[in-house]
Amino acid sequence: MGIYDVKGESDAALVERVLAGETDAYAGLVARYRDRLGRYAVRMLGNVADAEEALQDAFVRGYRSLARCTDADRFGAWLFGILVNRCRTLGKQRARRHNLVVFDEPAVAKAAVAHSADRDATREAIEWAVAQISATNREAFLLKYVEELSYDEMTVITGASVSALKMRVARAREDLRRLLAEVERD
Amino acid sequence: MRPGASQLISVLALVAGLNAVAVTAVAQEPRLRDRLLEPTRIAVDAILDSAHAEGLPTEPLVDRALEGASKGAAGDRIVAAVQRLWGELRTARISLGLGSSAPEIVAGASALRAGADPDDLTRLRELRTRQSLTVASATLADLVAVGVPVDTAVAAVIALAEGADDADYLAFRRNVERDIALGASPVTALGVRLGAAAAGAFSNVEPASSQGSQRPRKP
Amino acid sequence: MTEGNGWLDRAIEALKEPVQFGDAFDRHVMAEIEAGPGPRAWSSRFWTILDWLRRGRPVSVSPLGGLALAAGIALVALLGQDMLEPEVQGAPVAATVDGSVVQFVIVEPAATAVSLVGDFNDWSAAANPMQRVEGNGVWSVTIPLTAGRYRYAFLVNGSIWLSDPSAPPTLDDEFGRPGSVVTIGES
Repeated sequence: MGIYDVKGESDAALVERVLAGETDAYAGLVARYRDRLGRYAVRMLGNVADAEEALQDAFVRGYRSLARCTDADRFGAWLFGILVNRCRTLGKQRARRHNLVVFDEPAVAKAAVAHSADRDATREAIEWAVAQISATNREAFLLKYVEELSYDEMTVITGASVSALKMRVARAREDLRRLLAEVERD
Repeated sequence: MRPGASQLISVLALVAGLNAVAVTAVAQEPRLRDRLLEPTRIAVDAILDSAHAEGLPTEPLVDRALEGASKGAAGDRIVAAVQRLWGELRTARISLGLGSSAPEIVAGASALRAGADPDDLTRLRELRTRQSLTVASATLADLVAVGVPVDTAVAAVIALAEGADDADYLAFRRNVERDIALGASPVTALGVRLGAAAAGAFSNVEPASSQGSQRPRKP
Repeated sequence: MTEGNGWLDRAIEALKEPVQFGDAFDRHVMAEIEAGPGPRAWSSRFWTILDWLRRGRPVSVSPLGGLALAAGIALVALLGQDMLEPEVQGAPVAATVDGSVVQFVIVEPAATAVSLVGDFNDWSAAANPMQRVEGNGVWSVTIPLTAGRYRYAFLVNGSIWLSDPSAPPTLDDEFGRPGSVVTIGES
């Protein structure tokens, strides 16, 4: 299976091909959305291993229920909704099992996350702080500021009301500010 | 050290952590004899013995060990899984009442695994005194398994407790699952189905709010 | 750093840093997809299965008739509203009756052997082999179940573990393999 060249083919075209029986065409959708969706999973779950698991699970579920993606042009958004749910479920399981929300710095250093070569202290502090706040608030914060969704889009994905989401975002912002101020003082 | 020896030591360390009767006095479950390595079988038999002495159903524990054997799991992982289930069965039985049936206890243990509080099971029992809690507890666990946050799942199951019969619970869970497969968020799907239940199917049911009820959490 | 809103902008900028997963990830996803049933499985075979469930089958399959679609085989639970026949949708659920007969179904056209394995048969791969029905890769077996909650899975060709796509999954895959759950209530 070589690199699937999908330049120019829309999501809808690829989805149609997959539903017509060309399973390989799904690899094109995976390649297209992997990093974009993966970034959310990494920020939400705090480590690459869990993010990969949630992301793989989301892609497989997306494939299996592809016939129910009613608007194939919005495949990415539809799949993103599946991923948000997967991150929730996995995050809950991990938290119960490991009492974990702390971002493990040595693990981060070893993680195969190939973004900028020099991870300076500021970035580590930010990622640590994001991992400390509650999962519900973190989810809203990431959807709003990193994924840049509108509150209406966030309502569809999370099931929460716009007012609840605004409160979560505000609380996340306040908690992050407080945490980063503490880090600064150290 | 021989490879087998290190596994034996870790399994026996787990056994030592159990308040088990003397290993030599434990009865043997025949189905385990051919399926588990000896150190694992000894540890599991010790758990079965203790569970039986406490009045807990032991069949689910045997099943869990056989599942692990069938899937080729390592001995210490099997023992850990059986031990974990043992704890959950004990808590479920206490929360549901000592007169609970084995299916109720097993389903209650699943609900605990899903993240429900023991108090939630007790509350279910208070609300649903004349019916078995097997399906209600199972519905809670199954909703969480398909992505509904546990607080919301608990609220839904409790809201349905007085008015719904077992078939209603199963239909409810299947409908929520279908809506999720169609792309709805789990909380939205649940809210919609709960609203529909209140409007039509069950006369005694209070719907949760569409965002999912907030239940009080202990600090 | 946290005075004013500059800190927020910097935080967002850091969080927006791209993340890269390698091609190995794609391969793992496609491998898992190819090992399991496809979206096509439902849309192309659904009418066959639906007809088969509705019409009832020869003696080797239990006399379910138009009734008893147990939770474990609720293919209909995954089908869209527009595809459901009213009689199927309204069918009572076997899983509420103590002492039920439950039918398990999976679509696996590439399999040469499929077993139902679970709590109800001591996780023995030999106890409940499934029979191939029709020519479209539909496998089925029917077993009696008393009240209880049962973990199970399908074992394909003796080595591949599959969960039942139409049933709730187990909460954790305790032993690193997928699984499903069926619950039978007491009467």
